[in-house]
Amino acid sequence: MDVTHSHGTPGNGPVPLGIPDPARPGAAVEQRRLGPLARLAPDPVKVVLNWGRRYSLWCFNFGLACCAIEFIAASMAKHDFIRMGVIPFAPGPRQADLMIVSGTVTDKMAPAVKRLYEQMPEPKYVISFGACANSGGPYWDSYSVTKGVDQIIPVDVYVPGCPPRPEALLQGILKLQEKIAAEDVPQRYAAPADALRRPLRPAPDATGEGTK
Amino acid sequence: MEWQPLAADPAAGSGYFDAYAAVGLLAVIGVLFVVVSFTANRLLRPVVDTPEKLLAYECGVDPVGEGWAHTQIRYYVYAFLYVIFAVDAIYLFPWATVFAAAGFGAATLVEMFVFIGFLAVGLLYAWKKGVLEWT
Amino acid sequence: MNLLDTLLRCVGTLVAFLVLPLVVGQTEHKVMAHMQGRLGPMYAGGFHGWAQLVADGVKFVQKENVVPAGADRRVFQLAPAVALLPYLLVLLVIPVGPDGMVGQVVDAGIFFVLAVMGIGVLGSLMAGWASANKFSLLGALRTAAQLMSYELPMLLAAASVAMAAGTVSLPGIVDAFHWWWVPWQLIGAFVFFTAGLAELQRPPFDMPVADSEIIFGAFTEYTGLRFALFLLSEYAGIVVLCGLTTVLFLGGWHGPFEDDLGWLWTLVKTFALAFVVLWLRVTYPRLREDQLMRFAWTVLIPLALAQLALTGIIKVAIS
Repeated sequence: MDVTHSHGTPGNGPVPLGIPDPARPGAAVEQRRLGPLARLAPDPVKVVLNWGRRYSLWCFNFGLACCAIEFIAASMAKHDFIRMGVIPFAPGPRQADLMIVSGTVTDKMAPAVKRLYEQMPEPKYVISFGACANSGGPYWDSYSVTKGVDQIIPVDVYVPGCPPRPEALLQGILKLQEKIAAEDVPQRYAAPADALRRPLRPAPDATGEGTK
Repeated sequence: MEWQPLAADPAAGSGYFDAYAAVGLLAVIGVLFVVVSFTANRLLRPVVDTPEKLLAYECGVDPVGEGWAHTQIRYYVYAFLYVIFAVDAIYLFPWATVFAAAGFGAATLVEMFVFIGFLAVGLLYAWKKGVLEWT
Repeated sequence: MNLLDTLLRCVGTLVAFLVLPLVVGQTEHKVMAHMQGRLGPMYAGGFHGWAQLVADGVKFVQKENVVPAGADRRVFQLAPAVALLPYLLVLLVIPVGPDGMVGQVVDAGIFFVLAVMGIGVLGSLMAGWASANKFSLLGALRTAAQLMSYELPMLLAAASVAMAAGTVSLPGIVDAFHWWWVPWQLIGAFVFFTAGLAELQRPPFDMPVADSEIIFGAFTEYTGLRFALFLLSEYAGIVVLCGLTTVLFLGGWHGPFEDDLGWLWTLVKTFALAFVVLWLRVTYPRLREDQLMRFAWTVLIPLALAQLALTGIIKVAIS
């Protein structure tokens, strides 16, 4: 990708970045690469690498509604998710590993959620916290609410509840840690560009047969 | 107790160039450490450059203008003050090591008060001019 | 010069440089947690989360490295190393124990230390300027202003010790130390430690990285390992500041059984001061930028000048 720009080019219109993607007008083809050592390392090394990511989840707080209060409670004295290595709160997306979307994602907020997710460095994880972030929740028929944050970013763990109790988030974090411990990073980054970018699902048709 | 700077082993100070050779050696080791850690990072990290990721971070919205924005640097007065004071203060160190030696005594003390007096008057002047006030 | 000996000392310094900041960081996790009625990390590594920072390191080394498209690429990439290495060099010359328990004696001790520590600010400035980000630029300018203002009281306080000891060599200063220096240089110690805290941008002087105002200041755009190096330089800075304060004002290795346990005294004093640094973080809210500037120029510098006068008078009186 051509990302070497000299001083002063930004700001002068759109910056050409990479090969244009015919499927997505205005966007570039996403290149996914992984360092050779992470691909070829023997299993014990991979276990250590996974262990590091598992217990160091710097968390990017995305509190959008009332669920955020429960989320903040989970970081405080009684529940204290720092016990599990979830370090609150990374100042910005660049320092974060884990995004916890807690609350109602509105269509107006959705682009910002997506961009901040994009700006986190790989490998990154997302926990969707609460009914609204999972599926739109009580606002499932609202004109302005995104029906689940998983329509715009890939979600690793869903925490149900309206709002969920902090214990539910702790359980969700433990689930995520189990997932990370068993993760196959080379496979994750060998996948074609759109594997993590789930396309919008068409509505089930009238016969009730689910389409994929 | 008098410190003897010229001795043959690195623990006790071993002459000007030898001491700084050790500093240089450590600098080389430090650079090596940085290079090794970044090589490991290169071998281990994924690369997924998306256009949005490479945008400047501005709270999730499109960056406005360019990053090298015109900023009013309101601290330049401090920079002037600092340069004046620091140059003065640098002269303190060689003087500090000898001022109490035999044969100097009260004369150096008076000199010191003259010196500190100059600094204090300068500071008071800056203060009086409102440089150190913000609100 | 015995090359092998010097090499061993340099490697030892590097090891200390990598281990001590981690110990301080882990202590910070635990101390902060317990002061806030929490437990802090408990899972990583099993026993009371002792491996939390190891896990952080393992994670940072496999994080993606993002260089924003608009950034000044080379400068952006070099900045963390520029911020980190000065502290490594300073650690070399801090004496730990009597009879040569020091990386390398540099005759111009204090002078060298203050000069080299001044380089660190360049790293922050480079980071802030090269990121092409408004938050970074603001943070970098705040860093520059703050470090400039606090460099001066630090310099004056150090000069006061040099006057008292009649030398600028660090082991020489510790050799010349007597217990009554502690009350004599008390103001200087306060000025030096406070100014050093501000140089490290630790709370309550952390406006350059105030995350509720300017995200993370100069480091806003930094990811992965480069960000980790900035963090490491902050914690290495704590070790260096506390080590220097110990050597200059608290008598370094002096204490009971100093012939055998001198190094232990230095470490104990250093870590006691490091604990104070962490304690202050939990205790005080952040100052406002202008309060910070005013504190440096109207409180610390007059105090430092007063200490110089006091030192001069007493030194001439007793010699």
